[in-house]
Amino acid sequence: MRLSRRTRLAGVAFVAVGSLTLAACGGGSDDKSGGTDSVITVYGTNPQNPLIPTATNEVGGGDPLDNLFSGLVAYNTDGSVTNEVAESIEPDAAKKVWTVKIKSGEKFTNGEAITADSFVKAWNYGANPANKQLNNYFFYPIEGTDDIGNTVDGDTVKGLKVVDDSTFTVTLKAPESDFPLRLGYSAYFPVPESAYGPDGKITKEFGERPIGNGPYKLTKSGWERNKQISLEPNPDYDGIHKPKNGGLVFKFYAGGGTDAAYTDVQSGNLDVLDQVPPSALTTFESDDKVAAYNEPGSSFSSLTIPEKLAHFEGAEGDLRRAAISLAINRPEITEKIFNNARTPAKDFTSPVLDGWTDKVEGNDVLTFNAEEAKKKWAEADAISKWDGKFVVAYNADGAGNKEFTEAMTNQVKNVLGIDSEPKVYPTFDELRKEVTERTIKTAFRTGWQADYPSMLNYLGPIYATGAGSNDGDYTNPAFDKLISEASAAEGDERYKLIGEAQAILLKELPAIPLWYQNATAVTNKDLNGFEFNWKQKPDYYKLTK
Amino acid sequence: MWWYVAKRLLQTIPVFLGATLILFILLKLRPGDPILNLAGNKPVSQEVRDALAAQYHLDDPLFVQWFQFAKNALTFNFGETFAGQPVFDLIKQTFPVTVVLALMALTIDAVLGIAIGTFAGLRRNGWFDSSALVVSLLLISIPIFVVGFVMQLVFGVKLGWTSPTVGSDWTIGDLILPAIVLAIANFAYTIRLTRTSVAENLSADHVRTARAKGLSERLVIRNHVLRNSLVPVVTYIGINLGSLMAGAVITETIFNVPGIGNAAYVAIQKGETSTVVAIVTFMVMVYVLMSLLVDLIYALLDPRIRYV
Repeated sequence: MRLSRRTRLAGVAFVAVGSLTLAACGGGSDDKSGGTDSVITVYGTNPQNPLIPTATNEVGGGDPLDNLFSGLVAYNTDGSVTNEVAESIEPDAAKKVWTVKIKSGEKFTNGEAITADSFVKAWNYGANPANKQLNNYFFYPIEGTDDIGNTVDGDTVKGLKVVDDSTFTVTLKAPESDFPLRLGYSAYFPVPESAYGPDGKITKEFGERPIGNGPYKLTKSGWERNKQISLEPNPDYDGIHKPKNGGLVFKFYAGGGTDAAYTDVQSGNLDVLDQVPPSALTTFESDDKVAAYNEPGSSFSSLTIPEKLAHFEGAEGDLRRAAISLAINRPEITEKIFNNARTPAKDFTSPVLDGWTDKVEGNDVLTFNAEEAKKKWAEADAISKWDGKFVVAYNADGAGNKEFTEAMTNQVKNVLGIDSEPKVYPTFDELRKEVTERTIKTAFRTGWQADYPSMLNYLGPIYATGAGSNDGDYTNPAFDKLISEASAAEGDERYKLIGEAQAILLKELPAIPLWYQNATAVTNKDLNGFEFNWKQKPDYYKLTK
Repeated sequence: MWWYVAKRLLQTIPVFLGATLILFILLKLRPGDPILNLAGNKPVSQEVRDALAAQYHLDDPLFVQWFQFAKNALTFNFGETFAGQPVFDLIKQTFPVTVVLALMALTIDAVLGIAIGTFAGLRRNGWFDSSALVVSLLLISIPIFVVGFVMQLVFGVKLGWTSPTVGSDWTIGDLILPAIVLAIANFAYTIRLTRTSVAENLSADHVRTARAKGLSERLVIRNHVLRNSLVPVVTYIGINLGSLMAGAVITETIFNVPGIGNAAYVAIQKGETSTVVAIVTFMVMVYVLMSLLVDLIYALLDPRIRYV
């Protein structure tokens, strides 16, 4: 068929109208929050899970949740805790049964009162594997759950009992003196009754528009997918994190995010970026367009050598591990590769924590010493001759991983005169899959970001026998005993026990401590009140401009 | 012609099935475990793992997953992202900005490319032609992310003429810079294609005839040279709209454009098979429809082309 002139024109018109319609779709951008200067825009990423306290375990959703809810306790900037919703949290003499009393008159933003049930029901929900909550792991210390935090026998956790409207008790599996320290973490936040649907499940609507009790609440626009989450101060909140600003907007940066966010801070489109992109690490402190922050932080990096790896068991293993640790020149790597955005490790925890010291017995094994390394390696060779190569696995999607693993294996190669090389996994989950399935045949990089500010949270979950994140399958009854004793102890006694436990780790090196990741940030120059808390996050409520 | 359109539309069915199947196979080949990704660095219990895998059909055999997907896609049900957003909503939300960005890039590409190309073609081997060739060669050889970062730094940060990133409250003005960057790579090809095409047509028989008839040079060029030269250029540009949308990933990432390329990138990172497949399938369909549209526009330019 030949196109008539009319059809042709129609075709042209069709194309033109099509493009106009499509263009119109995009034109309608939102109003920029009407002239309130005190709204602070901060870097964020689109949450990966619905905004439910027991389901959110990554920063994209975690940062907004921490501001939308408050728990029984709240963390101060230095990592100490203050009771928030809790009136008191008291243990029995054995520190096994904890009685929690809730302040009277506390409310969710929808007016619903906060009761013992707001907590107990939420925790039961989180621990029940049928609900697929990713934070169930946090409930493992409570009686009635298995090692990984799932409820055993029925749908409720046996160790949780509601006494009356404002009181409940928590029975732990083992004595633990720092149990209250855990309770500021998001998995333990209260959830209002209105969150549950008729089927007893937390509804989708709640996951989209959570109703909390924290310093902030969602604005009318709330969570706009792939765009931002906007919060405004909660007028009824009277805890220790009272907002000093007019609201927060978590602006999402997807994909290669932090580079774009850095540019936005430089040009004044974003107030706070709490992680400096690798591309700017050499320059950000001298960049006169931004205010820069750089200090040791709470995440710990290590090199885990699985216990089952050939030549790394028993006395021979101890010698080889020590030799490798001595062969690594940490200051050189942190300076040359990370531009001093890492601090060489002195122990297995983090310098931001209460009780931390750089004088743990035996930590000279973390100082570069080529002679000593060679000597230890030779001693190990005397027990059983080394063969093969020392391979270190890393994931390429983490900034700097490739560079530091290459540098580290080179140092090992040069100092010990053995074959050593990196092995790349494209993504984090690919590496982790082999690690969790125990099919990995090499040493691999590991890191830890604590869930609550306690040195024990760096030791127990990673090195205790059978613990959830014990990737190397390390086991030592003496260490286990010290950790459980430290859990029940307080004050100096506790830190003494932790020191002894760390001394064991430094001797046996189930993982070789590498460095603490520094907390780096850039902010708009007009911004005031920026301070890192123990989680390497700014205390958002303090920010003003 | 309508029969032709219908036939072409029917052809999209095997394309859809084939493309999705290939995508499923490719994503299945990707090692790793999306559930671990979802859980961060924390341990996940087997029960939770199994329940989540069941929810997203991650443990089903490949063909079952694919069949399920194809069946649901018929009713525009593309499932949900891990964050609980319907994938269809995600596409609806991110697609417009990508389309606007692509159309802007296309306009810049077409207008400048055809103008410069024509001019160069008419004065072949002159100084303008030579410099256009050198510049286009330069543009082809610089990687797009380099152009992107440099332009962002110069115009966004240093000079402050425009916002260096786009962000959620995007406006057409914000998109100009990314659109230019996106256009640059194709723009060079458009120049070269137009130039060659114009140059060839200048010595064609019908042009000689037209000149012999005594038509003015302007009319000759407009009606006899340009119109014929544009056939290959339009094909190229039309198909480009599809690839521009798909290729916007890098530009969208650099400039933080909340578009579909960005959404696809994030979904791939997280191993959200169903989301990736849905987005890519959608892009494939756009591509197919664009090439149909291009074929139809042919007839407008060249009356010798018929559709039966």
